[in-house]
Amino acid sequence: MDNFIQIAGIVDESIVDGPGIRLTVFVQGCTHNCEGCHNPDSHAFDGGTKMKVQDIIDMLDKNPLLDGITLSGGEPFQQAPQSAMLAAAAKEMGLNVITYTGYTFEQILARKEGNSGWNDLLKNSDVLVDGPFILAQRSLMLRFRGSQNQRIIDVKNSLAEREIVTIEY
Amino acid sequence: MITKIRKRDGREVPFNIEKIANAIYKAAAIVGGSDYNLAMELAEKVADYIEEKYKKKIPEVEEVQDAVEKVLIEEGYAATAKNYILYRAERTRNREMNTRLMKVFEDLTFKDAEDNDLKRENANIDGDTAMGTMLKYGSEGAKQFYEMFILKNEHARAHKKGDIHIHDMDFLTLTTTCCQIDIDKLFEGGFSTGHGFLREPNDINTYSALACIAIQSNQNDQHGGQSIPNFDYGMAKGVAKTFAKLYQQNLLKTLELLVDDIEIEAKVKEVLKEIETIDKIIPTIKTIEEYCVVEAEKLANIIDDLVLIAKAQVFATKKAIQETDKKTFQAMEAFVHNLNTMHSRAGAQIPFSSINYGMDTTEEGRMVIKNLLLATEAGLGNGETPIFPIHIFKVKEGVNYNPGEPNYDLFKLACRVSAKRLFPNFSFLDAPFNLKYYVPGKPETEIAYMGCRTRVIGNVNDPDREVIYGRGNLSFTTVNLPKIALNSKGDVKKFFEILDDKIDLVIEQLLERFEIQARKKVKNFPFLMGQGIWLDSDKLDWNDEIREVIKHGTLSMGFIGLAEALQAILESHHGETEAAQKLGYEIIAHMRKRMDDASKFYKLNFTLIATPAEGTAGRFVKMDRNEFGEIKGVTDRDYYTNSFHVPVYYKINAFEKIKIEAPYHELTNAGHISYVELDGDVSQNLDAFEKIIRTMKEAGIGYGSVNHPVDRDPACGYTGIIGDNCPKCGRAEEDHGFERIRRITGYLVGTLDRFNDAKRSEERDRVKHYSCNH
Repeated sequence: MDNFIQIAGIVDESIVDGPGIRLTVFVQGCTHNCEGCHNPDSHAFDGGTKMKVQDIIDMLDKNPLLDGITLSGGEPFQQAPQSAMLAAAAKEMGLNVITYTGYTFEQILARKEGNSGWNDLLKNSDVLVDGPFILAQRSLMLRFRGSQNQRIIDVKNSLAEREIVTIEY
Repeated sequence: MITKIRKRDGREVPFNIEKIANAIYKAAAIVGGSDYNLAMELAEKVADYIEEKYKKKIPEVEEVQDAVEKVLIEEGYAATAKNYILYRAERTRNREMNTRLMKVFEDLTFKDAEDNDLKRENANIDGDTAMGTMLKYGSEGAKQFYEMFILKNEHARAHKKGDIHIHDMDFLTLTTTCCQIDIDKLFEGGFSTGHGFLREPNDINTYSALACIAIQSNQNDQHGGQSIPNFDYGMAKGVAKTFAKLYQQNLLKTLELLVDDIEIEAKVKEVLKEIETIDKIIPTIKTIEEYCVVEAEKLANIIDDLVLIAKAQVFATKKAIQETDKKTFQAMEAFVHNLNTMHSRAGAQIPFSSINYGMDTTEEGRMVIKNLLLATEAGLGNGETPIFPIHIFKVKEGVNYNPGEPNYDLFKLACRVSAKRLFPNFSFLDAPFNLKYYVPGKPETEIAYMGCRTRVIGNVNDPDREVIYGRGNLSFTTVNLPKIALNSKGDVKKFFEILDDKIDLVIEQLLERFEIQARKKVKNFPFLMGQGIWLDSDKLDWNDEIREVIKHGTLSMGFIGLAEALQAILESHHGETEAAQKLGYEIIAHMRKRMDDASKFYKLNFTLIATPAEGTAGRFVKMDRNEFGEIKGVTDRDYYTNSFHVPVYYKINAFEKIKIEAPYHELTNAGHISYVELDGDVSQNLDAFEKIIRTMKEAGIGYGSVNHPVDRDPACGYTGIIGDNCPKCGRAEEDHGFERIRRITGYLVGTLDRFNDAKRSEERDRVKHYSCNH
């Protein structure tokens, strides 16, 4: 059976969603409702378009320029099983995975067992940019982040060390 | 009886029958007539006819001339009538020319550049200034003169109709396009600008100042770009001289301080002189240790403290390296500043300067490259992006392409600077068509590019001299491909037939122009030829013809709008379908073959260039739209697509674009460039930038660059991408505009004001090959 993902859009080669050249998937649907969100159209779960997960995987496969995939949104953790599938496929191709989420790393750790696909998505993400967008902490000078509270987290090392390891780009 | 006639300007003047008789007599004389009385008889008949026809009304000049024609024909003097009509037509043409030219002058005088496309034809000229306008008076007058009296009629007609575009026509009878200046050779022993002699420079400051002067002087002998292909190698010698001088100065000062002997300065100087003249060695960054051994030995004769000598030498070396580095930075900074400020090209433009570098792996050469890049990154006085020179970083495996190679760090730095300042561009010495000329250790065989794309290296005239130094393009003419496609109505065979006709025409026209250029003398180019810049010109005397030496130059045919031509024939362009890419390649390969054949036949360097389309892009499409109407994908925009490029409005990913354009680089031996458009601040993502450059190299591109927006807030100095608000200080645009630098046909332009209409429209349509949503 085909797996589908609801998306707000895809940028097939992005240079602003992480280092190198990346395919960015904006998943559709998000309940965080951050004030000043850059993509308010991606909040409704019945918006956007339905796409086969395999079609996105094919796009990754076809472009030799890509360094990685970025899952953004929307909230990737609110379509975790499909997002995890994309992340796993990307990793298999040797691409790195950056996932943006409005949850904090701590929240995800605490709730990952109760939510389908959370564990897989976390494990298949190399980097997690976490936390909600907070308008008061907004800065246009930050690389790959919207507000000061958000962290760029090295997932593998953080899990191994049992404390948050951030990355400076 | 007629007593008066009315002239064209409305004045009434006395009627003079002799004027009519004279005109008839002259027309008859051409076919052998010599009977003035008969002419007078006919003139009287004309007068009678006018009297009869116009009664009491005062006749106009045109009416009188109509009457002359009528009488001549009716009386059976057909041959005379024909000559009279021709004479009349020519007079009309001359009159029209005067009024047309005067109309142009009127616009130049009274309209602002903002409203006058002519004044914005070239993005680098400020058409609102006195010298900018004077330049345009000259060039517009010259163009019309050549069209009327110099060019062969069919060439002028083809140009006017928009079948071809004869570039830089205002310089048709005056000079050639461009040249690659061997700066090393020029400096050796000093040179003269025609207004004074300059000695061989002795430190990096003077080297860089003289490099500017060389570019400026040569620019005044040619209308196109001026390039220094060996900038790093040439400037390195200045760095070496600076280091030697600074080392000795520092050593002297240190010893003066440490040694208690009032005569120490004179004594040390003596020693230094001895080493230089007798041992014949000088201190260099690389060999300083060996030098110090020799020096210490001699210094020991005057100073009996070896430890002190060693200490002084170590200190002097350290200081000399630091100071040389600093001086080199300042020299490079001055070089960049000068090239952006000297409006010495015909008083209205800064010279079109290009410099190539990246291959010199000596300490001195590396210091030049590093500091040049750093000075460019720092920007002009207020941090503005420098518009000139065009920088070309030569990329070569084994030298600077892979980690561990001697100049890899400089390649990385070049990427960083280009991501911020749009320059350098990157040339690829490993592309097979460039590599075949390359001989390690011979910088004159390293491919160089000039200005926005020109390339000169092959040489059928002298196959042993396939070098870049002292050579350039002589002239070039562009073929309008979409028009040929529209005329062939989808018939590919017909397309190639018409194309061949146009190529014949272009070859003939280039040869005609060559003949005019060849008759020039050395004295017409006091710097270019007089100072021996051009290859072999040093073998000529002041009054010699330049014919033989300019055979080292190239005669180039260009083309524009491959995409629109394909669209007209196949209803898709080469970015869209494989069929179009196949036909596109066939067309350009055919054009190249015709150039190769012409080269063989004439023993002259006929080459094919991917036309940059400055000004031409809009001129052609306007005419074609008038003739063929608005055709979707062909004439429905304000410009034709640059050479073989995939249209800027077409969405395609970077990898595909590079792959599609790469094969055309090999075919266009007179020059080419491919761009990738990036959206987003690429200086924040250098991995992405470098990857694009590497992809170009791997795909066999010869010359490429990345376009991305460079905005600057003059208030706080922030440079990067600015939307509605400055990311650094947060202010909005309304109060005081942000500066936005863009690249148009290879040149950077500070604001969008100076783009002509076609170029503005092209910039608007550009689809970034990357886009950002947040």
